Amino acid sequence: MVTTIKESKSDRLFLVLNYVYLLLALIVVLYPLIYIISASVSSPKFVSSGEMWLFPKGLTFDGYKLVFDNPKIWIGYRNTIFYTLIGTMLNLVVTLPAAYALSRSDFVGRGLIMGMFLVTMFFSGGLIPTYLMVKNLGLINSIGALILPVSASVWNIIVARTFFHSTIPKELQEAAHVDGATNMRLFIRIVLPLSSPIIAVMALFYGVSHWNSYFPALIYLNDEMKYPLQMVLRQILVLQEMSAETTGAAISGDIAESMANKAEIASLVKYAVIIVSTLPVVAVYPFLQRYFVQGVMIGSVKG
Amino acid sequence: MKKSGRKVSGITRNATGESSLGRKMLKNWELYLFVTPAVLYFLIFHYGPMYGIQIAFKNFTPVKGITGSPWVGFDHFLRFFDSYYFWDLLWNTLSLSFYELAIGFPLPIILALAFNEIRNGAFKKTVQTVTYAPHFISMVVMAGMIITFLSPSSGMIVRMIEFFGIEAPAFLTDPRWFKTVYVLSGVWQSTGWGTIIYLAALAGVDPQLHEAAIMDGASRFKRVLNINLPTIIPTITILLILNMGNILGVGYEKVLLLQNPLNMESSDVISTFVYRSGLVSAQYSFSTAVGLFNSIVNALLLITVNKVAKRTSETSLW
Amino acid sequence: MQGSKKGWVLLLLTAMVVTLLSGCGGSGNTQKNGASGNAETNVVSKDGFPIVEEPITLTMMAPDVGLQNWNEMPVLQDMEKLTNIKFVFNNAPKDSFETKKNLVFASGEYPDVFYAAGLTPAEQMNYGEQGILIPLEDLIENYAPNFKKVLEENPDVRKSITAPDGHIYSLPVIEFNQPWYRNPMWYNGDFLEKLNMGKLPETTEELYTYLKRVKEEDPNGNGKADEIPLSSASTPSLRDIRTWLLGAFGIYEEEIYVDDQDVVHYTPMEEGYKEYLVFLNRLWAEDLLDHESFSQTAEQKKAKAQNNQVGLFSEWNAYMTLGGEPSTDDPMFAPIVSDMVDKPAIAKNKGVTTGAFAISVSNPAPEASMRWVDYLYSYEGAMVFNKGPEGVLWEYTDKENRVKKNLDPPNGMDPGEYRATLTPNYGIPAPTISFDDIFKGLKTDFEVWVDSESKTKLLDRGARIPFPTLFLTPEQQAEVTTLTSDLTTYVRQMEAKFVTGAEPMSNWDNYVATVKKMGGDRMQQIYQEAYDQWKSN
Repeated sequence: MVTTIKESKSDRLFLVLNYVYLLLALIVVLYPLIYIISASVSSPKFVSSGEMWLFPKGLTFDGYKLVFDNPKIWIGYRNTIFYTLIGTMLNLVVTLPAAYALSRSDFVGRGLIMGMFLVTMFFSGGLIPTYLMVKNLGLINSIGALILPVSASVWNIIVARTFFHSTIPKELQEAAHVDGATNMRLFIRIVLPLSSPIIAVMALFYGVSHWNSYFPALIYLNDEMKYPLQMVLRQILVLQEMSAETTGAAISGDIAESMANKAEIASLVKYAVIIVSTLPVVAVYPFLQRYFVQGVMIGSVKG
Repeated sequence: MKKSGRKVSGITRNATGESSLGRKMLKNWELYLFVTPAVLYFLIFHYGPMYGIQIAFKNFTPVKGITGSPWVGFDHFLRFFDSYYFWDLLWNTLSLSFYELAIGFPLPIILALAFNEIRNGAFKKTVQTVTYAPHFISMVVMAGMIITFLSPSSGMIVRMIEFFGIEAPAFLTDPRWFKTVYVLSGVWQSTGWGTIIYLAALAGVDPQLHEAAIMDGASRFKRVLNINLPTIIPTITILLILNMGNILGVGYEKVLLLQNPLNMESSDVISTFVYRSGLVSAQYSFSTAVGLFNSIVNALLLITVNKVAKRTSETSLW
Repeated sequence: MQGSKKGWVLLLLTAMVVTLLSGCGGSGNTQKNGASGNAETNVVSKDGFPIVEEPITLTMMAPDVGLQNWNEMPVLQDMEKLTNIKFVFNNAPKDSFETKKNLVFASGEYPDVFYAAGLTPAEQMNYGEQGILIPLEDLIENYAPNFKKVLEENPDVRKSITAPDGHIYSLPVIEFNQPWYRNPMWYNGDFLEKLNMGKLPETTEELYTYLKRVKEEDPNGNGKADEIPLSSASTPSLRDIRTWLLGAFGIYEEEIYVDDQDVVHYTPMEEGYKEYLVFLNRLWAEDLLDHESFSQTAEQKKAKAQNNQVGLFSEWNAYMTLGGEPSTDDPMFAPIVSDMVDKPAIAKNKGVTTGAFAISVSNPAPEASMRWVDYLYSYEGAMVFNKGPEGVLWEYTDKENRVKKNLDPPNGMDPGEYRATLTPNYGIPAPTISFDDIFKGLKTDFEVWVDSESKTKLLDRGARIPFPTLFLTPEQQAEVTTLTSDLTTYVRQMEAKFVTGAEPMSNWDNYVATVKKMGGDRMQQIYQEAYDQWKSN
């Protein structure tokens, strides 16, 4: 009894320290985020001069206006959501079964297959042969070019494999086999339901990479109507940041003037673009968090 | 069939020989099906284009194509090794990477363990979401903010330091500060994101272990150390091995944005060097050669670390 | 059993998705082949419009700034009606155009024409010799009356666009009206007035004295010594002010220039360059050159200027940095001299940028393509591609003499931006020529003032092209490519160190020795050979 009280005191201290630590982390990370939000609605002059340092100064919504006035933004959003959903589904279908198979120590040849995957982490043929491959498969200018070449990542397969290996008890597999379950049934009926944390993580990792991706769109898409959000935003930014310089293009007074006008709110747009592109993915995160607490279930199964 | 198969596997666990291996494969035939999509994917999109590596040993010109371009042996490699800056580049890349690893690798683990200790509620959700958000800030904005915060004339951080009566160092132009600025801003940006994977792994902690430990009177801190941490050790090990396999892979984008002629001696890394060479004209062969050099060094490191891991723990990549 | 069935369904679904996705891709590339068929029999008229009787369709690759879909640009639509040539646009966003261009060359499937592609001399030569780009001389001779006239009137242009193998692989941007080699530097007029500067500084000493006064005499009148006499912000560093200051020491350009005796110089090893470093170091040491010049962003510099702190800076027009309306109160920097020279070296824009337009080997109608682009070198064509169609942003007041007046864009839009929705020529190196006549009647008083500043301060004082536009041979090009990367890095790094004093000027000799070792001499030799070759043509 005495020991319990004593223990709980130190426990309380530990908890308090823990909260303090998290609170510190919160403040340190939060400040620049607030800064970005404020900067996206402050006069750029105050932002670059350092006069705006926490709350908006010289309130203006020109940055957002410019972003949302662009009709391509909404098409971009639609495309990105579509690519992200389809792409992530494909990723999960490719990654999870493979990772599970590789986690099984009774899977003959897993070393070989693992090795084959690992090699691709280091050695790649480069941009041109990959481009030619995509072209020869007839994928240019299609969603296929955006998601098939990134169907899986070795890194994620390894992470998922580690999860399966260390959290799915071996007894479970043996028990299932005793009951006459096939591997397929075992995987779909028992392993997957127990693995929601890793499924959530994989969906998040893959989903975010689709969401942020622009390079495949850049090289494989020709049709503006198919551009994902990131491409549209990049275009807006580039236009904004073009500066009147004498080299290369022939520039006359009015172009220089319009470029200068654009550059005026370039930084504003830069921050607005971050918010516009990030808000949806940040908003999704709290909903995913509940999948990270699943320990109870595994324990009960194990028992 | 199924039942007997299981029996066989039970009996032959220690046995060797073709028939048992064959039976084992047969029994788990579905597992081959499981890996088929992934294997096909890697074959088509990774092994298919891999012939492109040969341009590291050729003088690649687009019209002659990859196979038709003339061989030049190790010319591109020698050009890289002979570069005036080769040793600087190697040193900068390695030191930046290890610095980043030393600071950036443990922090997400600690943060994830801390998250795991508090109840699910608004506070936890908030902190988690806030720390996760910076991951999505583009490098351009990130670098812009760093430059603004550290500007000697108007930067927030500089003013804060000066407030305490200390003269702020020239963060942006002093070569000695570049790596710290780079690493700490990276920590700010990616620690929260890095916790995700550990949080998932922590979900696998067996609650019974905790119950038993509480019975034994173990303190919270002890339980974190002796139950939670060991549970995620396999994940930590694997991630560490994977990180070692990317030691020369410092990306160019952020470095380039923070680089200036004054901090160049400590900020120039392999990837920015390749980027600059490419500016003069697209040099596929040269950049492929440098990339290949990186890959080989990385692969060797990964193999070594994996070997060490295999010997000292149960976890390894293969 | 149930489970395994579900698994099969899952896999089947995957397979279906995969085939479906790959199926969508096929349609994009077929268009071109259809077009090439009728081009063979179609007659291309040598003058007059339409260019072809039967409409033909070609593909074009160009950098896109994303303001307007090219299919919807009135100028291009009018052009299609006029010529009977329809273009399918295979554009890439401007910032990533390089990447896509390289891939297109590598993939073996070329667009019919490259527009505003900014093909480097090396690219023109490589792809020309390899047969991807076709030689244009004969086409120019027969199908480009306007461009031919330009070449006849300006023999140097022909020299500049001809590759060492004697062929012309691309048409240039020709810009004889814009004399600036780099954006000019501008004085803050307020400061000049406050400090009673009757005339602008003419020597390095006078400039130094003036900057010193800016620093010390509080011309912005806020009681604080927060003035920044000279500020720079550019990537690469100092580029925006370097050329103007080098001129005081007899140097025309930051890297390669030819002097009046036809001798080529590699600037970073020159004695004049050393004096430039000494001068800048002096400015730095006395805090006259912004100490944030190596690290600040353009916006930060601008914020300082708008805070009325900056005395001298580089910009297209002064008001773009200082804020406010275009003003003739802030004069252009007049090149200064040091003791080393009698007159300043003033660099003038080359006026010719090659690589703006090229025709690929897969083009089924090169003659028609040449006629199409030739229109852009006529007054009428250049006019609409530059300013948009008549009656939108401009109209004639006196068509005979080509005098025009500006019209307001709808909805109070920015004229420059609105213009970019009419014509593709916005911030990209498009094939065209700029005539004086284009701007007749369209210039504002401010623009006229800027022109006169350029004339009196630069052109009338002997501004000239530092080094002609020319081609290197493939061997020369390869060597320069190999040398440049390390050399430029070293030179820029050392420049920063000399200027900030991190490296004492006493180490100049060591520095020169290293530059030579790294191939500075070779650079000079290669460009000398190339120049001699160019000169003798």
